[in-house]
Amino acid sequence: MSQDIENELRRALRPVDAPADFTARVMRALPPRPASAEVVMLDVVRSRAQPSWWSRFSTPAALAASLLVAIMAGRHVALEHEERQQLAGLEASRKLMQALRVTSQKLDLVYEAMQRPPPVTPPAEENRS
Amino acid sequence: MIKRIVCMAALLLSSPGWTQAPPLAKGQLRLPEFAALTDKASESVTVTLDPQLLGLACRFLNSEDPEQAAARQLCTSLTGIYVRSYSFDSDYAYPKADIDAVRRQLSAPGWSRLVEARSRKEQTDVDVYVLIDGGKARSLAIIASEPREFAIVNVVGNIDLEQLHALEGKFGVPQLEIETGKKSGVEKSPAPKK
Repeated sequence: MSQDIENELRRALRPVDAPADFTARVMRALPPRPASAEVVMLDVVRSRAQPSWWSRFSTPAALAASLLVAIMAGRHVALEHEERQQLAGLEASRKLMQALRVTSQKLDLVYEAMQRPPPVTPPAEENRS
Repeated sequence: MIKRIVCMAALLLSSPGWTQAPPLAKGQLRLPEFAALTDKASESVTVTLDPQLLGLACRFLNSEDPEQAAARQLCTSLTGIYVRSYSFDSDYAYPKADIDAVRRQLSAPGWSRLVEARSRKEQTDVDVYVLIDGGKARSLAIIASEPREFAIVNVVGNIDLEQLHALEGKFGVPQLEIETGKKSGVEKSPAPKK
């Protein structure tokens, strides 16, 4: 019994070659294929896709140049400040020495005055007192 | 709103910072500008060394130079040096009133006249004042006037008389025979006018 069913099934499910026009019929049955869209590459995309040397290095180069300029400007300002400070310091020290010289000159006057003998009192005045 | 701005401006302008001169340090004299004298004088020395400038000056003194080394030692304890010195080609070409105004400041409490030197022959008047505070000299003032010359010196700071004593012989500072610790107000008139 089961043998019969088995045979029946084998017969029913035996591989059958596709008819010759099968592919053509399937292709015909398919909906019409839409035309492929034309891809237009925008300039931006194209430039991104193939970056030039300048576009690749311009930003880092600009940054590096800015950094260099900033460092040089800072150094220049620092040097100028130092130079100004030095000039001011030298001028101030010159003034200080000048002030001390004037002070000592005036103290010399005091010294001279102190070294001078006191004025002699006339004898007539002494007799009066 | 405008009223508020006007009020604010009035308030700012009336604040001491705008209308008054900067406050003076203790012992600092208010010296006249003597701007008009600079043109009249044959020689003039105007030195204004506030604490900041004095500090800068000290840093730039050459330690290898004995004079400057001594000055450096001295100026570390000072906070200001102010000098006005003028020489003229004619007698008494300077305003005595301005000098008297400075002299009046020295009659304030704390100031003592250390030396008063009058030379009738040379018509030289030199007064040395010190400001004593807490038993220490905090300021020194010298007013020297001659017919053709006058000078006002104001040295502010902790004036160590020992140090001043040690400076004798340098810069031509004479032997003042200052007794350190001695009460100031020693008035000496070796050559009084009358």
